[in-house]
Amino acid sequence: MYGNSQFDGNAAFSGGGFMPSQATQNADPAFSPAKSREAQALLPLTVKQISEAFQASDDKANFLIDGVDVNNVKLLGMLYEKTERVTDVSFVLDDGTGRIDCHRWVNEAVDTKEMELLLNGMYVKVHGHLKGFQGKKQLMVYSVRPVTDYDEVANHFADCIYVHCYNTRLRKSQDAHQVPGHMQNSTFNTPSKGYQSTPSNNVSVQYNTDEVKGIERKILDFLQQPSCIAKEKGVHRDEFVQYLNVPENKILEAIESLESEGLIYSTIDEFHFKSTANG
Amino acid sequence: MDTSNPAVLVNAELLRMHVGRRVRTVIQVLKSDGGGSVVGRSTDEQQLIIKGYPSAPLSTFVEVIGIADSNQSIQADSWTNFGDNFEMGCYNKVCQLANGDFKHLFI
Repeated sequence: MYGNSQFDGNAAFSGGGFMPSQATQNADPAFSPAKSREAQALLPLTVKQISEAFQASDDKANFLIDGVDVNNVKLLGMLYEKTERVTDVSFVLDDGTGRIDCHRWVNEAVDTKEMELLLNGMYVKVHGHLKGFQGKKQLMVYSVRPVTDYDEVANHFADCIYVHCYNTRLRKSQDAHQVPGHMQNSTFNTPSKGYQSTPSNNVSVQYNTDEVKGIERKILDFLQQPSCIAKEKGVHRDEFVQYLNVPENKILEAIESLESEGLIYSTIDEFHFKSTANG
Repeated sequence: MDTSNPAVLVNAELLRMHVGRRVRTVIQVLKSDGGGSVVGRSTDEQQLIIKGYPSAPLSTFVEVIGIADSNQSIQADSWTNFGDNFEMGCYNKVCQLANGDFKHLFI
């Protein structure tokens, strides 16, 4: 699962890292594409949103917010209760929506320096990993920086709102996409109608196959009708042309394909056909 | 993790809905007489009185956090200098969203 996300450049290049790659929609719709790609995404959040996150499952330590896996988070707020210990520094982050405990491990001089500059009451940006510990949610912080341009405050909250909107809307559209694979093919190929003149053979072949499939389906459905099953001699192919209102060459293609699949067979002559299913 | 004492993002318009509660807002300082009250312009261009004693000289824009004690004033216990360049319009818009459609993300 994690191997996949390594060579998916789309996640890295498409706007901020929290947007799932559009190409993943071709994948099995039952399996959320969010699993591996968004495990690495950075979510801007408010403490209130974090307090409402719930655990995805007991064995995984991951949380879910708006249906998205929460791992790396970004918060902005005031730093309080800074406590320096030997290997770590802990503090409380208050962003006006709530307070959350934060821990920053200090292994190197760089880390200690970073933390020394921070004073209680200062506005800071933190990046960290959300962890649950003894029922409480905490932040394992790997970066704390003082805010210098205070427009960042409004920007961060706007960011939280935007990502929330995006994720909730994405979930709504994913639910709507729970249709069988056959349907998905046709929705993706209708735009290619305009692409008939492209040199790419793949596109035109796919387009044709799909159209033929549609006609084949219609022929089969037509032949499955009781009135057609009753006809011993089968249905003349001109009837298909008339009934389906489709050019004869397309009908011929469809008939050929259906015959080779063994779904229809010719009866008294090469123009009459019956369905193998009930005929 | 504690969400029991949030400070609601407000502008002058929204302040009246949260009288008696903990609020925060940004004002542009108009008059600061050091006598326990500061007159400022809110992000939606209305006048607000902020009561309290700032611990340091104020910059042009200041964020105050405290209890709203009337439609037009706040009893502030926290003053943060937001510098001399600040986008009031953006902050105002965020206040409106935070109290409107996206209230559940904040309070």
